[in-house]
Amino acid sequence: MTSRPPRFLWPFVVVVYTLLLAPLVVVVTVSFGSTPTFDFPPKGLTLHWYRAFFANEMFVRSFFRVSQVVGLLTALVATLVGTLSAIGLVRLRFRGREALETFFLSPLLVPHILLGASVYLYLARLAWPTSSMTLLVGHIVIATPYVIRCVTAGLAGMDPRLEEAAMSLGASRPQAFFKVTLPLLRSSLVTGAVFAFIISFSDINLALFLAGANAPSLPVQIFSQIQFEADPSIAAASALQIAIVGGLIVLAQRLFRLRLMV
Amino acid sequence: MEGGRPSPYWPLFVGPYGAYLLLFLVLPFVNVALLSVYLHSPTKIAVAEFTGTNYAKLWEVYYATLFLRTLRLSLLVTIGCAVLGYPLAYFLARSTSRVMTLGLLLLVMPLLVSTVIRVFGWLVILGSEGLVNQGLRLLGVRESVRLLYTEGAVILGLVQQTLPFMVLPVMAAVERIPLSLEEAARNLGASWAQMFVRTILPLSLPGLVSGSLLVFSVSMSAFITPALMGGRRVRMVGQQIYEEVLTAYDWPGAASLTIVLSVSMLALVALALWATGRRARPKRAR
Repeated sequence: MTSRPPRFLWPFVVVVYTLLLAPLVVVVTVSFGSTPTFDFPPKGLTLHWYRAFFANEMFVRSFFRVSQVVGLLTALVATLVGTLSAIGLVRLRFRGREALETFFLSPLLVPHILLGASVYLYLARLAWPTSSMTLLVGHIVIATPYVIRCVTAGLAGMDPRLEEAAMSLGASRPQAFFKVTLPLLRSSLVTGAVFAFIISFSDINLALFLAGANAPSLPVQIFSQIQFEADPSIAAASALQIAIVGGLIVLAQRLFRLRLMV
Repeated sequence: MEGGRPSPYWPLFVGPYGAYLLLFLVLPFVNVALLSVYLHSPTKIAVAEFTGTNYAKLWEVYYATLFLRTLRLSLLVTIGCAVLGYPLAYFLARSTSRVMTLGLLLLVMPLLVSTVIRVFGWLVILGSEGLVNQGLRLLGVRESVRLLYTEGAVILGLVQQTLPFMVLPVMAAVERIPLSLEEAARNLGASWAQMFVRTILPLSLPGLVSGSLLVFSVSMSAFITPALMGGRRVRMVGQQIYEEVLTAYDWPGAASLTIVLSVSMLALVALALWATGRRARPKRAR
């Protein structure tokens, strides 16, 4: 490790991270504040807003029943479908492969609000009422390209001769794949799955249209709460989210030496 | 890619997501394209009678202003992200693995949190009784400064939200450039700035382009940020579409807006890819 970034970048880096993290730090701090007026620094510390969050049935339901479940299912489906697609795109050769890759990554470039509105109008035509199911349908569209990108990068950085070597030593094609390629892909898969979960979990533009009025996801619930009556239980909700997902990421990094999204 | 061989099994691999996208991406947009030429009816929402009025309406000053503002703000956000994100990406790519891990964690952390929560944080910071105004009061400023509901607030919010989308691809691109290239340039007498401009910058350009495209598309699609931080003063196209679909029930109107926005964005993306492709080719030949 002889690499050293030039020293004059340090102050710049500090400023950028301050900008990036300021809203989160403020939200977490305010969630412990004893006054409902978002004083910063807080005048006193309390857990009152966390109790208020867990006492609010809408919050609890949107958090555990909608956002968590849809996020996990999105990650599962997107990882399966995305990995299959990535293997097909990188390792197999067929007509129109490059066009198909562009098509598969195109949801990354479709504005989410347009996709949400389009799928909403499409479902209306099919007379399919919105629910957590339709939310899942929408989230799979936008989350899978992230998995494809992660796994494609993982596969492209891997020497295909490794698999060929295993096969020349007597392994069958599936054996070579499961014993050589898949273990090497593990960190790409985890990164992709984590990203798919994040995309679903933090999405609001699709959820506004597709979640259904009776089962809002947590972001939608927070959005209406901000407009209706903003109190620090919103901050408590987000602080909980930061703690849970942050812990998940740190854990994943320990287990798989995962370097996020490269 | 070189290892690939013609295989009859490719539909097994790419079929599932291909079919899925056909059903839930292509067909919805076909439906929107149809809706956009349907007649709007206050009672039945949309009547299957072909008309061009939905598109003609978009030439009105109201819509043109809305569209130009959205475009302008998104471009400013993209530039802001490039200026702030590139040095950070370079810094992270050339850091020790421990610093890089921590840096990535802190970079991705804000991404994990929903847009609406990040915007909520800005509301607390920039509000009339917010952090900044409380600080100004301590300095003796009597009247609170209006920071929210300005273009600056919307740009700040969007830059904060989209910055990781810029940093990650640029970082990946810089990482792929071997350190020995930098050392060679320095050993041959180039200053740090010369080395950077002549080796790192051109070689990491693809990362910068894909980062910019991501940031731009997220900004164009922004709804929550302008809705909460821009209010009625700084409206963007996202708000208009949201309202026409869910509150005004002018579905043909929303559809025409959607089509115009999608097509112009596709054109822009194609232009950007074409431009970088053209610039990259002679470089490689040299």
